[in-house]
Amino acid sequence: MNCEECKGLISVFIDNELAEPEAEQVSTHLSVCAECAAVCEDLSSILCSFDADEPIDAVPPNSQALWCRINNVIEGEIRSSEPQQPVEPERGRSWQLSFFQLSAAVLCVAVISSLLTIVAVRNYTQPPVDDFTTRSASTQTTIEKLLSRVGLIETPVESRMARLKEQQAAIDYWNSRVNARRAQWNRSTREAFDKNLSVIEESVQDYTKILQQDPDDELSGEMLDAVMTEKMNLLRDFADL
Amino acid sequence: MIVRVFRQVGRLRPAKTTTLLAVVFLLFASAVAANAQKRFSRTYPAGQDVRLQLMNKTGTVTVEGWNRQEVAISASMEAPAATIAPQNLSDTIVINLLKDNQGRETGNVNFVIRVPYNSKVDIETRIGNLQVSNVRSSLVRAHISSEGDIILTNIYAKAVSAENGIGDIFFDGEIQEGGGYRFASMKGTISLRIPFTSSFKLVATAPSSRNIALGAFDNANLNRVSDGRRVIGSFNGGAATVTVTNQRGGIGFYSR
Repeated sequence: MNCEECKGLISVFIDNELAEPEAEQVSTHLSVCAECAAVCEDLSSILCSFDADEPIDAVPPNSQALWCRINNVIEGEIRSSEPQQPVEPERGRSWQLSFFQLSAAVLCVAVISSLLTIVAVRNYTQPPVDDFTTRSASTQTTIEKLLSRVGLIETPVESRMARLKEQQAAIDYWNSRVNARRAQWNRSTREAFDKNLSVIEESVQDYTKILQQDPDDELSGEMLDAVMTEKMNLLRDFADL
Repeated sequence: MIVRVFRQVGRLRPAKTTTLLAVVFLLFASAVAANAQKRFSRTYPAGQDVRLQLMNKTGTVTVEGWNRQEVAISASMEAPAATIAPQNLSDTIVINLLKDNQGRETGNVNFVIRVPYNSKVDIETRIGNLQVSNVRSSLVRAHISSEGDIILTNIYAKAVSAENGIGDIFFDGEIQEGGGYRFASMKGTISLRIPFTSSFKLVATAPSSRNIALGAFDNANLNRVSDGRRVIGSFNGGAATVTVTNQRGGIGFYSR
């Protein structure tokens, strides 16, 4: 009998269900073949353990880890049976929010983002003052028209009026300075000043009249701004004399 | 002294008396004239990059470029004579009559200043004419607060600015590539004489007169807008920027 035939019969041999002559052949082979004898021993020991009636103290593969787990379970059960102490949530770590907190947070984010959008829109759509004073509704972009309609940015006419108001305030200031100095000027200086001022005043009146008829006349808006600046400069220059 | 002269006169013959009286009169008259018209004259050595900065109150200012590395200032002052105290600060010659005569009544001061060709010129007056000629530098600025003409001739500068109230502006010079040229008047005539080969972007505005004569420079790239009150566009590619505004007068372009 060779090893393969023997291994095929080992299981039946251990169960004593093999015929006498075959059982003798297997026994003979096992006595001469160490390898097959080892297989027979292993198999018989496994079968013995299953067949045994009393419980076996089976050793788990990692007994230490098993004991750790058991220990943790026991300690956990002991803790849960003890009265619960109120535990303060760790600051900065708790992300649990109530519905109202969450709503408030969402509202805050919405308000801040809206404000930022308005600021950005104002900054990016409002051209420099010099340009804006000369602009009319016809040259406004759709976004600018929309924003000016809801009152977020000034219309060109409003912007022009605001600029004129600023210029007029400066003119009033320099005019008071000129009036204080005027008595000390000689005749030719007074004449030159008055002549120039009257030419500027004529232009201011002309452009104001045109803009009353057609507030969107860009060029007149630009020129009115220029002559008002000219008037301011004339007054400032002569206030020094 | 005068009493002694008259005693001497009494002892002289009539012909000699007349001669002596005439001499005395002439001396007296010249003394009065000297008191009325004072003169100021000073010369400064100039470096390679000199700048003249002048602020006058009333009077004419003439600045001429010359082939010397020095700045020669001469001024004639009408009574009451102004104080002139030029300062030479690291190649910038500053004359500020407003500061030097603060709160004082002064008569007209007429300047004639010669500067090296390559000088930067920045002159200003409250009343009076300004003239600049033969300057080839990076800056020529002439500003009159009220009345006066501005005449800029033979100017080759990258930045030119001429502004006045009532008065004419005449520019005769070259337009440099990348340069900026600004001319503004309230009432008068603005005339620009520039080479036909100039390359510039133009914004010319004469809202009251609508008189903008482009002459030889009129072409399809220069358009009249806002009912002819403004001409906008470019000539020969638009390498420089020319802005001309005349509130109550005309604008003319001439080829040199």
